[in-house]
Amino acid sequence: MTLTQFFQNVLNGLSIGSVYAIFALGYTLVFSILGIINFAHGSVFTLGAYFTYMLTGLAVGFNGILATTRLPFALPFILALLVGSGLAGLVGVLIERLAFRPLRKRGSDRLLSLVSSLGVAVVIVNLIQYLVGAEAYSYRSDPFGLGQPTVNFGTPERPIPVRSVQLVIFAVSVVILIVLTLIINRTRLGKALQAVAEDTVTARLLGINTDRLILFTFFVSGFLGGMAGTLVATSQSITGPYFGIAFGLKGLAVIVLGGLGNIPGAVVGGFVIGLAEAFVPSQYVAYKEAVAFALLFIILLIRPQGLLGRVQVQKV
Amino acid sequence: MTTEPVPILELHGITVNYGGIRAIENIDLVVNTGEVVTLIGANGAGKSTTLRAISRLVNPLSGKIIYAGKDITRARTDEVVKWGIAQSPEGRRVLARQSVLDNLRLGAYTRSDRAEIERDLQQQFALFPRLAERRHQQAGTLSGGEQQMLAIARAVMSRPRLLLLDEPSLGLAPLIVIEIFSIIRNLHAAGVTILLVEQNARLALQNADRGYVLEAGAITFSGPADQLLGDERVKQAYLG
Repeated sequence: MTLTQFFQNVLNGLSIGSVYAIFALGYTLVFSILGIINFAHGSVFTLGAYFTYMLTGLAVGFNGILATTRLPFALPFILALLVGSGLAGLVGVLIERLAFRPLRKRGSDRLLSLVSSLGVAVVIVNLIQYLVGAEAYSYRSDPFGLGQPTVNFGTPERPIPVRSVQLVIFAVSVVILIVLTLIINRTRLGKALQAVAEDTVTARLLGINTDRLILFTFFVSGFLGGMAGTLVATSQSITGPYFGIAFGLKGLAVIVLGGLGNIPGAVVGGFVIGLAEAFVPSQYVAYKEAVAFALLFIILLIRPQGLLGRVQVQKV
Repeated sequence: MTTEPVPILELHGITVNYGGIRAIENIDLVVNTGEVVTLIGANGAGKSTTLRAISRLVNPLSGKIIYAGKDITRARTDEVVKWGIAQSPEGRRVLARQSVLDNLRLGAYTRSDRAEIERDLQQQFALFPRLAERRHQQAGTLSGGEQQMLAIARAVMSRPRLLLLDEPSLGLAPLIVIEIFSIIRNLHAAGVTILLVEQNARLALQNADRGYVLEAGAITFSGPADQLLGDERVKQAYLG
């Protein structure tokens, strides 16, 4: 591997890794508070990408019942990204209200919530297919209006070109990560969230409206998932209603790798898997998907609690 | 000289099922403003369930809970905390992964008067020098007695009108228990109304104005604390 390739791989790895990180945080936030994996998170990722697509004023294809329709307005891409992620956040809220809260109030087994979220995922995927068809969608080229497709990190003689869109993805994700970390560690809201995560009963006795905080958590989770979906789609395309399924599974690998329910763990896990994938030689690119899971397997053999996971201590 | 007692909390015929089992049945209980009332009884008699019903952590099957003249039978926990009912729960339940300081700050979660919160914080630290020393430590690293002090101080941070204390002496060394009860007396002297659940019946009655005895989910005796202390049946069952 040349030095050029090495740098390219690192930058690409950081870029995709940062998207894995914000996506995985969506899982982790919900898990840390409810102890449940929200299996619909991958389909919220997909929805976010479609929302952004439509908000930029592009028409949907020819196969769904909404064929050839388009919104009567077109937002600039960054705005569409934020609004689209917000809409994905609202879908997250809806999922909590319809698929999680009723079961929680009945004191049902957590396994049931897992199944109901899986059901939501299936419904969303089919709904997308019904509405806009199964075809792939691409955003307008150069959605961020960067002008040039690559940025050179080397010298004119020894160029190290990196796709500009990857850099923007990295920047956006890092900003989101920093904002989220500040909210969780520095604000009253964040402390309350941590309290709910640690002990819901105590949180209630402190006067925290736990149901409202859980709704907020689902909103943030959906927002992060939807944003990840749009960011991935900017560098590739929306491959269809199943866009988020593989990504959703990889997100699970990320959070288990980092340590379930551990917020820094999700970030570290995202970057580790992103970098590992970026270093898969191009002739083996078909096996790229296997890398995340092979890595997961190996790391769990050494550290069953994940990279940053706490060993569960049974308290008396 | 005696003024008419003003009830701050009234339970009328409260029945609660807990995990499919009748935990308390038809409980009537009154706490007047300024009193320390204790609820004593054996393990599993339903003492904690009664407090959980008042804090709205469990729903009564029937009956009414009136707080400061208001029916709170169907209110949410966060609402009743906001209205002035704080609880230091059984087993202390400090947030082990957060600092002592953050635990106390979260105690004031329902308040928005920042300057006053800071003042109360300093006051708690003056009252509990050991918490002040350990303010940046994770609460999980505190000793049992310190965690109990933190749980009480945290509840006080909400400036409650009614403080529910669930087994504050449980599992603590005798010297620490004495310290905890002197804290309870100080709170009372400062004007906080207290409903105290205790297994240590003698100590509880010695520090209370009135007492209720709970047996298998029902109240069997009630009266002024000194009267219960002298009652032969109570003596035999709980003070032996």
